[in-house]
Amino acid sequence: MSKKQIASPEEVLDSFKNQFSNKITKGRIDRYPIGPSKHEMIQIWMTVDPSIFRDVVKHLMTFDKHAHFAVSSGYDIEDRIEIINHFSIYPGKKAREISINFIVPLPKSDPTMDSICDLIPGALISEQEKQEMLGIKVKNIPKNMRVFISDDFPEDMYPWRKDEMNADKMGRNLHENDKIPKPKMGADK
Amino acid sequence: MKFSMIPQVLSQLFKKPFTNQFPAKYMPPSVTGYLKDVQSGKAKMIPPIETPKGFRGKIKYDRDTCIGCKLCMKVCPTDAIEFIPETKKIRIYLARCCFCSQCNDICPKDCLSMSDEFLLADTDKYSPDLIVE
Amino acid sequence: MMPAETTEKSTYKIPIGPIHPALKEPVMFEFEVDGERIVDADVYLGHVHRTIEWTGMRRNPVQVLYLAERICGICSYCHPMSFALAVERIAGIEVPERAEYLRVVHAELERICSHTLWAGVAAHEIGFDSVLFLTWQVREKALDLTEYLTGNRITKAITQIGGVRRDITKDMVPKIEETLTFLKDNFGKLKKVFLDDKTFKMRSQDVGILTKKEALQLCAVGPTTRASGVKKDVRIDQPYFAFGELDFDYVTPDVLTGEVNGDVYDRIIVRLLEVKQSIDLIEQCVDILSGLPEGDIVAEPKVAKLLSQLKKIEGDGIGRMEAPRGEVIHYVKMDGNEHPYSWKVRAPTYNNILPWIPMLKGEQIADIPIVAASTDPCMSCTNRVGIVQNGKRSLFTNEQLHKLSVEKTRRLMQ
Repeated sequence: MSKKQIASPEEVLDSFKNQFSNKITKGRIDRYPIGPSKHEMIQIWMTVDPSIFRDVVKHLMTFDKHAHFAVSSGYDIEDRIEIINHFSIYPGKKAREISINFIVPLPKSDPTMDSICDLIPGALISEQEKQEMLGIKVKNIPKNMRVFISDDFPEDMYPWRKDEMNADKMGRNLHENDKIPKPKMGADK
Repeated sequence: MKFSMIPQVLSQLFKKPFTNQFPAKYMPPSVTGYLKDVQSGKAKMIPPIETPKGFRGKIKYDRDTCIGCKLCMKVCPTDAIEFIPETKKIRIYLARCCFCSQCNDICPKDCLSMSDEFLLADTDKYSPDLIVE
Repeated sequence: MMPAETTEKSTYKIPIGPIHPALKEPVMFEFEVDGERIVDADVYLGHVHRTIEWTGMRRNPVQVLYLAERICGICSYCHPMSFALAVERIAGIEVPERAEYLRVVHAELERICSHTLWAGVAAHEIGFDSVLFLTWQVREKALDLTEYLTGNRITKAITQIGGVRRDITKDMVPKIEETLTFLKDNFGKLKKVFLDDKTFKMRSQDVGILTKKEALQLCAVGPTTRASGVKKDVRIDQPYFAFGELDFDYVTPDVLTGEVNGDVYDRIIVRLLEVKQSIDLIEQCVDILSGLPEGDIVAEPKVAKLLSQLKKIEGDGIGRMEAPRGEVIHYVKMDGNEHPYSWKVRAPTYNNILPWIPMLKGEQIADIPIVAASTDPCMSCTNRVGIVQNGKRSLFTNEQLHKLSVEKTRRLMQ
């Protein structure tokens, strides 16, 4: 497929499935009707094995040389941590952009994934954020430091997790901690 | 024009300032003395600009119409509404209210509404002026 | 404040931040300086972390709307709207046609308020305070219109999942038209001051250049990237609300001047042209709205029923919008409970921070305020800068750094 051609969403999904066969699962295309004339917003979702994640991003860049990396979000569920990377390709013309989301499940016993900062320099802050919020390790990250949480926060507490490593102990309910007692008004009696 | 702001700046010398000078044109030497003068009628206070209809100010509560369904508490983003079980009515703490008026929308009996009062500053979070019930 | 040190090449390291001259939020920079020229720059974040996403995972979707509104004062419409878009896509809620046009009116009104605020701040950084007051006087009219339509000047609270909370009735239309006429008349004045005045041209042309390749690689968004010639705008690329029906195009500097440089002057051009575009879009929408019949403005008017409907949905969704500063994206995952299982917010400034490093290399210290302010970071003013020269430490206050910037203007004018 030449770089100048614009591929349809089905062609994009099929190309990924053909290239990476069984390492890509659960691919689906969602179409949402938007606005009064109901034109479509297209989102492609794919579950990608962590070992081929870098190759998947390189393959994506064959469709659009400067794929736009928006953000990566994540959550933990049962015994794995799922990181979702949100990309979008083909801006520049009306209603042509397609959103592509890659879900990368990492086992909690070994949550490591590769960095893509050499392919897309703008991904640095997102990767640092996932490291400190969810406890994953990103290999070959250019700058390994905390970006949002201060340096004196405990090491093994990860705020977004729902299991035993969460940070609920660090939260304070200011309403309950108010030392001023709530007054009893005359109308109650 | 090279320095195009000069005519604008010079014309401003002759125009009334755009700011509404509330409450007084110049800072009075003593604030409490000024307030006493206003109350007794010796000095005049320039009023603030009028708020439009539909302004979300201090909340007003009609106690008799309330049925104690607790729906407003479910929607309040800041947990500012407290339920009193003995009388089945509510109490609203303005120190935590964010004036979103979502409780107005959900109330089935329409007993909550927003007034146009906005001068609500106080030194005590739980003073009687800031509790509505 | 971090201790500074000298290197073998006789450059000095200047820490700037966290509370800060040209920015409206605490951010820490470290500049490596050789005389007055900047050689390298480093960015550190995280000083206003408010655990909003953690708090949001403990509230039901209607409460999260108001929490999202307080993420940022100026983009206070885009965050709840993106969240509402994401939840509507999960639940399959269909928004009525009248509500789509109303949403466009409020989004464009917010864009006008934000860009005029930025124009005043940029003038203040150069040292041109008269323009600050002129621009903010124009902004007051736009804020008055916002208060009339929504009840408050900044925290609009007009979002609801499935539509909007207030309608624009026929008796409100004269006031909208009066404000739009005022804005159009004054737009010509502002354009003349910003684009033709010698002071602005001196300070902003060929300063803080971001090339097209760097903008694409660092994934910059919003007017920052459009000023470098990249055509990226979520309103046209992936239309939402009723933007698919309206008639407008990408705003890049070659619309006005015919060439693209990627400097601060181009960013001023892009933002002023967007104000004109917004006024035009609001007019189109108000015309269409007066032609539509009176109808629903929200898919489910009873909020209690809406909440019980949202309790049962499962799935994940994405909401993307074009805020005045760039692309806002929200990711929401619901799993059959009342509280979202996962919520991720990405404000546009976080993508626009990394481009500061190539923009500032080679510039002078006195240019830091105007270059940083030209990307319109969503942040607020501050105190002190520590500068080490010849081994002696001295602290500059905000006023002194601002004075450096103003003095440069005076020097150039002679």
